Amino acid sequence: MNKVLNKKISQFLDDDLDCDEALDLLQKMQWDADAANTLNRYEAISHALKTHELVMIKSDFSAKIAEQIQQEPFYLLPGFSLSPHGPTVISRHKLLALAASVAVIAVLAVRGINNPAEHRSPPSALQVAKLRSEQAPKPVLYAHQAVQPEEQYPLNKRINDYLQAHNNSVYTNGEADLAPLASVTAYRQK
Amino acid sequence: MIVIKCFFLASLFLSIGLLSPGTALGKDPELNPPKAIDIQSGKQFLLHMTQAMQTLNYQGTVAFLRNGKLEPMKYFHAAHNGVEQERLLSLNSPLREVIRDAGKVSCLYKVTQQLVVDHRPFERSFLVDLPKNLDELDAIYSIDVVGEENIAMLPAYVIAITPKDTLRYARKIWLGKQQFLPLKVVVYGLADGVISDEALEQMVFTDLEVTDTLPFVDVRKPDPGNPVQNIYKLQAQSSNQAGFIASRLPQGFREIFFTRRPMHNSEQPVDHLLLSDGLASVSIYMEHKNSEIQPESYISKNVQSVGAVNFFSRTLGDFELTVMGEVPAETVKLIAEGIKLRDTGD
Repeated sequence: MNKVLNKKISQFLDDDLDCDEALDLLQKMQWDADAANTLNRYEAISHALKTHELVMIKSDFSAKIAEQIQQEPFYLLPGFSLSPHGPTVISRHKLLALAASVAVIAVLAVRGINNPAEHRSPPSALQVAKLRSEQAPKPVLYAHQAVQPEEQYPLNKRINDYLQAHNNSVYTNGEADLAPLASVTAYRQK
Repeated sequence: MIVIKCFFLASLFLSIGLLSPGTALGKDPELNPPKAIDIQSGKQFLLHMTQAMQTLNYQGTVAFLRNGKLEPMKYFHAAHNGVEQERLLSLNSPLREVIRDAGKVSCLYKVTQQLVVDHRPFERSFLVDLPKNLDELDAIYSIDVVGEENIAMLPAYVIAITPKDTLRYARKIWLGKQQFLPLKVVVYGLADGVISDEALEQMVFTDLEVTDTLPFVDVRKPDPGNPVQNIYKLQAQSSNQAGFIASRLPQGFREIFFTRRPMHNSEQPVDHLLLSDGLASVSIYMEHKNSEIQPESYISKNVQSVGAVNFFSRTLGDFELTVMGEVPAETVKLIAEGIKLRDTGD
């Protein structure tokens, strides 16, 4: 029995199961935690074999999706209305929604596997450092300390140069950064 | 001191006609109303001012208000045998001493000991620059004495310099009655072609004292251990060498100075033509397009401003052009749009 189930899981991951069989499989996995774990393991093994990288998916991933669908069926079932056959209809649609969600995840996972460049790999030390620096509190900068946006700096630099050459107001204005302003316009240093 | 006062009193009496033959003969006051400030034209007052600025020794505290920023400085003007020296000491950071000697401005930053020497042969004063020949202003400005006020507790005449078109700014100069020194200078903007009450920039003394002598100060040599010394060498060249021709200049504007020199910390030369109508100055800069300084961000379709200075940039073939000056936006745009590349015949 397990061999059959495992084969179906493998076929499901390879997208070889037809819709009805996929739905049956997913329905079983709702109640069979071992089957769900097997799906996760197979997916991880398949991923590792194809990319030499390991992506850990939490064992309760599918269960959480199912739970979420159970809690919020209205978002996934537009046009739903209460009827004497309501419970049956809900159950059927929930199952379809769950199947669709898992199928989408599976497709995305496969696409990610086939495209290693887009696949998330463990963060490098550089990325960790960058992340930490981004998360670190930013120091307070006063206006004259603030770095100009890169695209504005050339304009200011050039206009400063021109102003310096145009008249002597650079020596009598109240700019706090007059010295840098003058040094920016320096040329032909001796 | 007494001699100077006597000189100016005599000068004033002569100019307002108190010692003129007509007055001496006791003509009917009805025919010669004693409106001294009307009789003495504004231009004559300005003539006295330029003379006083050049020949007197004076010191005080002056505040410059530009671009919304106030800069108070100590001011000294020493004069001896036709030689002048202007000196400014900043009261606020960055602390610096600025000295002008015969067309050369030296600025020493106290903290860094950085010395900047800037050759500026086309300027004569930090306070106000007027043309040597005031007649140049006749066609484009009206110069009138419009009142009397007190500045820094000193009585002053108010001289209004009003443009006859909308292509330049109006100014007022408060002229000390005793010494004819400028106590306050304000540049007014235009609003819908009408002179605005809003001051674009101003200079005002909070105290001013005339003395018999003031020492000339040597520009202190920089510390040999501190190699920071920037020298801006300027050499006037013929404007015929400019790569452009300014074909549309407002009335009264003429070429003052042209130089081709490196800028932006590079050896790439920039053509710089300085124009002036006697009061307002306009600079034209032209240089090759430079991808390193991102010309696309620099070029704007609109006139931009820094305080009273407006500037407008555009491309002209392989060149970038910027026109800048303390004139209305309309004027810099007019001049910029009239600039053509010089046909070198190549």
